[in-house]
Amino acid sequence: MNTVLTHLAGNRALIAYAGVILVFVVGATLIPGFSSVFSIRAMLILASLLAIAALGQTLVMILGGIDLSIPFVIGFANVVFASLYGGGMPVWLVLAIVLVGAALIGAFSGAISAALAIHPLIVTLGVGTVVQALVQIWTRGLPTGSAPPFINEFVSLGGSVGPLPFPWLIPFTLILTIATIFVLRRTIYGRKLYALGSNPKAAELALVRPVVMWAMTFAISAIFAALAGIFLLGFTGSSSAGVGTPYLFQTVSAVVIGGTALIGGRGGFVGTIAGAIVLIELRTVLIGIGLSEAMVQSALGVLILLLVAAYGRDQHIRNLI
Amino acid sequence: MTTKSVRPGGLARFFIERRNTRLAALLFFILLAANIWLNPARFMPHNWGSVLGLAAPLLLASLAMTIPFLAGRGSIDVSVGPLMGLINVIIVKGLIMAAGVTSPLIIVPAALLIGLASGALNGFLAAILRIQPIVATLGTYLIYAGLALTVLPSPSGSVPAWLAALAGPWSILPVGLAVLLWLLVKRLPYYDLLMATGSDDRAAYTSGVDVPAVRFVAYLLAGVFASLAALSLTALIGSGDPNIGPGYTLIAIAAVALGGVGLAGGVGGMTAAFLGAADIFLLQSMLTAFNVSTFVLQMAYGAVLVLAVCLNSEKLKHLFKARAVPR
Repeated sequence: MNTVLTHLAGNRALIAYAGVILVFVVGATLIPGFSSVFSIRAMLILASLLAIAALGQTLVMILGGIDLSIPFVIGFANVVFASLYGGGMPVWLVLAIVLVGAALIGAFSGAISAALAIHPLIVTLGVGTVVQALVQIWTRGLPTGSAPPFINEFVSLGGSVGPLPFPWLIPFTLILTIATIFVLRRTIYGRKLYALGSNPKAAELALVRPVVMWAMTFAISAIFAALAGIFLLGFTGSSSAGVGTPYLFQTVSAVVIGGTALIGGRGGFVGTIAGAIVLIELRTVLIGIGLSEAMVQSALGVLILLLVAAYGRDQHIRNLI
Repeated sequence: MTTKSVRPGGLARFFIERRNTRLAALLFFILLAANIWLNPARFMPHNWGSVLGLAAPLLLASLAMTIPFLAGRGSIDVSVGPLMGLINVIIVKGLIMAAGVTSPLIIVPAALLIGLASGALNGFLAAILRIQPIVATLGTYLIYAGLALTVLPSPSGSVPAWLAALAGPWSILPVGLAVLLWLLVKRLPYYDLLMATGSDDRAAYTSGVDVPAVRFVAYLLAGVFASLAALSLTALIGSGDPNIGPGYTLIAIAAVALGGVGLAGGVGGMTAAFLGAADIFLLQSMLTAFNVSTFVLQMAYGAVLVLAVCLNSEKLKHLFKARAVPR
C-alpha cells in the first residue's frame, strides 16, 4: 500500500489531474453556474487552445530547452493566415504556407541553439522578435482578413459534434493527445527525445544527432503554435499580431504544472493537458469571485507558485553530486 | 605546438579577461560613432546627463538581470521589469499622491526596501524552496504586474523636481550608486563564491560553499539594482505608469546576452551588462534618428541579438579554429 502511495505521489501528472478535480469542486461550490454545460464547454475550448500551443513547449522542455517564440509564432500564423485568406488565396495553400513557414522558423531556432550551444531562451526570443516585427511591417501594423467559416465552426462556442454539445476542437485535442502519447512512448523519435533530454552526452554517444533533434522538435513546437494561432483566429474572429502574448507564460506554466521538468528528460503531454485545464479553471474561478483582471493575474502568480512548490521542486545540490 | 605564457598588462589584459564582451565593445564604438555623426548636438557634453538618464533604466535593469545569471544552473530573475513598474507606481501613487511624501530621504530608502524585499522573496522561492528559477520569478512577475495595475490602473501623477533631475543633470547618481555597489561586491569574498557557484556549483558545494545562500544573495542584489532602475525609470517618465515596467524584462535579457554574459553562469559582470545595454540603447537612438517605425526598430534589435550571440558562441570559435589549424 505504501509503495502504491509513493508511486502515486511521484507521478506528477496524476497530481495535476487531482488538481483539476479539486479546482472544479471548489469552483462549483463557490460560483453559481460554474458546472453548467456552457461554462464547462467554454473552459474546455480555452484549455484545448492552450494545450495545443503548449504541446511543442512540452516536447522542447523534455529536450531540456525552452521556446519563448511561441507567442510570436501564434501572432505570425494568426495575421498571415487572415491576410492571405482575406486576399483570396485558397485555404489549403494558405494553410501550407503558414505551417511550412512556422516549421522553418522553429527549425532555424532549434538548429542554431544546438549547433552553436547557445541558450534557446535567447535564440527563440531574438528570432520571435524578428518574426513579429516582420509581420507588423508587412501589414503596417493593421492586419486585415478573417478565418474561413469552417474554422470558426471548428472552435465555436456554439459548435456541436453530431448530438454532442461541443465543437470539433475538443475531439481533435483528444486525438492529438493520444497521438502524442504514442509518438513519445512508441517511436524512435520519442525515445531519442527523452534520451537527449536526460543525458545529452550519453545520447550523442548513442548516435542521437542533437542538431537534427533540436531542429525537428522546435519545428514541431512552431507548427503547433501556428495551429493555435489559426484556431485563435477562428475563435476571436479578427486577427492581431499580439494575440499570442498571454501564451508565453501560460504555456510554460501549463507544462510545469503538468509535471514536465525544465531540466529535461522527464514529463509528458498528458500532464500538460491537466496543467492547461487547471490554469483555465483557476482563471475562471478568480474572475467568477469578482476579482479585477489585474488581481486575477496576481492571484494566478501566487497559485502557480503554491502548486509548483507543492510538487515541482528541484533537487538539493547535495543530491546532484 | 608551443604555448607562450606572457602576462599582458593594462588594456590588453582588460580585453583578454573580457573575451565575451569584445564584440559588444566593438559594436558600442561603431554605434557611438554613428550616433555622434548623425546627431552631434545630442551627444555634446552638456547633454550627457540627459542621455545617460535616457539609458539608465535599461543599464540598471541589465545589471540586475546579470547577477542571477552569474549564479548558474538556470538562475534567472524575469521579475526585474514588473518590479520596476511596481516600485514606480508605489512611489508615485502610494507615496507622492496619496501620502504627500516628496522627501528623497523617504522615497529612496522605500524603493531600495521594496527591491530588497522582492529579492528576498525571489531568492527564497528559487534558491531555498528550489522552485525552478524561471517558474518562481515568473510567478512573482505575474504578482508584481497585477499589483502595479491594481495600485494604479492607468498612467497618472507627477514627481518632485529632485526626482526629475535624476533623469537630467543628476542622472549619474543612481548609475554611480550601482557602479559603486558592484565595485564593493567585487571586493568582497562573496564575489568569488558567486563566480565559483556559477562556473561549477557541484565543485563549489564540495569545497564547502553554501550554494543556496550564494544564490539567495544573488537575487537580493538583483532586487537592489532593479530598485535603482525603478528610480531612474520614475525620473525619466516623470509619472506613474503600470504598463511600462514589464517590457524591460525581455530587453534586459537581450542586452545581457548581447553583452556576453553566459546564461550558464560564471561568465560576465557589470561591464558586459552595461555594454550590451548601451548597444541596444544606441541602436534604438540611431534608428530613431532615421525616423523608422518601431517595428523596424524591433526587427533590428532582434536580428542584432541573434547575430551577436551566434558570433559570441564558443562553439563557433572552436569550429573556426579547427578550420584554421588542420590537425
